[in-house]
Amino acid sequence: MTPVEQIVFLLKAVPVTLAISFLSFLLGLGLGVSLAFMRIYGIAPLRYFSDSYEKFFRSVPVLAVMLLLYFGLGPLLPIFKDPFFTSVISLGIVSGANQSQIFRSAISSVGRTQMLAAISIGLTQLKALRYVIFPQALFLAVPGLGSEIALLIKDSAYSFIIGVIELMKHTDILRASQRSLILPYISSAIIYVVMTFPVANYLDKWGSRKKRELGL
Amino acid sequence: MTSILECRELMKAYGKVIAVNNVSLGIGRGETKVIFGPSGSGKSTLLRCLGLLEKPTKGSVYFNGVDVYVSKQDLNKLRARIGFVFQEPSLFRHLTALGNIMLGLKHVSGLSDAEARRKAYEALKLVRMEDWVNYYPAQLSGGQQQRVGIARAISMDPEVVLFDEPTAALDVELKWEVISVMKDLADRGTTMLVATHELRFAKEVADEMIFMDQGQVLEVGSPDHFFTSPNTERARKFMAKILG
Ligand SMILES: Nc1ncnc2c1ncn2[C@@H]1O[C@H](COP(=O)(O)OP(=O)(O)OP(=O)(O)O)[C@@H](O)[C@H]1O
Ligand SMILES: [Mg+2]
Repeated sequence: MTPVEQIVFLLKAVPVTLAISFLSFLLGLGLGVSLAFMRIYGIAPLRYFSDSYEKFFRSVPVLAVMLLLYFGLGPLLPIFKDPFFTSVISLGIVSGANQSQIFRSAISSVGRTQMLAAISIGLTQLKALRYVIFPQALFLAVPGLGSEIALLIKDSAYSFIIGVIELMKHTDILRASQRSLILPYISSAIIYVVMTFPVANYLDKWGSRKKRELGL
Repeated sequence: MTSILECRELMKAYGKVIAVNNVSLGIGRGETKVIFGPSGSGKSTLLRCLGLLEKPTKGSVYFNGVDVYVSKQDLNKLRARIGFVFQEPSLFRHLTALGNIMLGLKHVSGLSDAEARRKAYEALKLVRMEDWVNYYPAQLSGGQQQRVGIARAISMDPEVVLFDEPTAALDVELKWEVISVMKDLADRGTTMLVATHELRFAKEVADEMIFMDQGQVLEVGSPDHFFTSPNTERARKFMAKILG
């Protein structure tokens, strides 16, 4: 293969890498937002659950979760024999803990007076969370979410180990068929940088600008 | 006359700190009452309890003669009928002036978008903010923000409006624009309970002044009474201090 063909071969795996990252980000977002609200506004058992979840999954390597689900649960629940599915779930579960922390600090920065003002006009607590607290927390969370997306794109490389045909796997295929080890790894590294840096950087700038504009 | 809003033997403690101690007072339709007293005397806490934003530790709150916490009424519905203007900036920062007011009209009163828009605009006009409808709170001065906050409170057509030192955080030049809006409201017959140290406002519009100190109501009387011959030494000293 010529170097151009090699790069094209690597690029062909990019959609799978992005799909894993994007889907696990969405799963993590749903989990993170719920956990954060449970932690701050929930009743005691929910607060305790949320806190334990966050502490646990922020301490466990995502690879351990992935291997546990794939090899541990796979034989019991056939759905976990699917490497793509298991990757998305593992990354999403762990990302949920990270995103919970991001939203928790964002919600705290929104402040107590906003909640009081919201209920003072007669909004229920749920509506206050939805129309007043969450939109502001989202603006505040954006820079953190940018870093989280970058982290997921990088960590999606672990799914290579359980057999997902994504960018790292293509990199490995090239490495196996090449005499030069350098080109596949360097090219692949550059592709990861191109996928992560602009997104994280853009969201960071956008979030900071919004924060300034709205005085959040 | 039965009071619209009333508290009896109200006590609120935060841990060991007793913020409000054994306060009973009521406010009747069309009345304007002013609460004043030193920092930390419990004005904000009392107003938050009356606004049903906090539950008293002891004592009761009556709305239109009904004990709120005994009757187990829907607090959200009652809160919509009690306006509240905060001491600190409280506008929803992600919404424009108009959006701040439309939110409650849509999601509490259930008005359509068009109706809410029209009504919100009317409320902004009352506080002379109709030229700023599309501005975000961060683009407005402190005085303008407080006026939008007042518009937000009155847009729900509350039966009583509680004001927690709405001008305390403002520069002198900005105070008057808020005070004059509040005077308009009082003149229109709005039922108001106002924590403030603006004694000129009190003198012009208050039916009654309530002096608080260390969580308790120390003295109650007309503005004339406080300006000429307060009974308690504390009230006399405090009047002298804020009159300069
Ligand atoms: N949420 C709270 N948690 C703990 N203590 C509180 C809380 N709110 C008020 N306090 C305490 O209760 C007392 C009364 O405070 P409050 O804010 O009601 O007084 P205030 O008269 O409004 O004062 P200011 O004029 O400074 O606004 C103070 O000692 C205060 O520290
Ligand atoms: Mg206060």
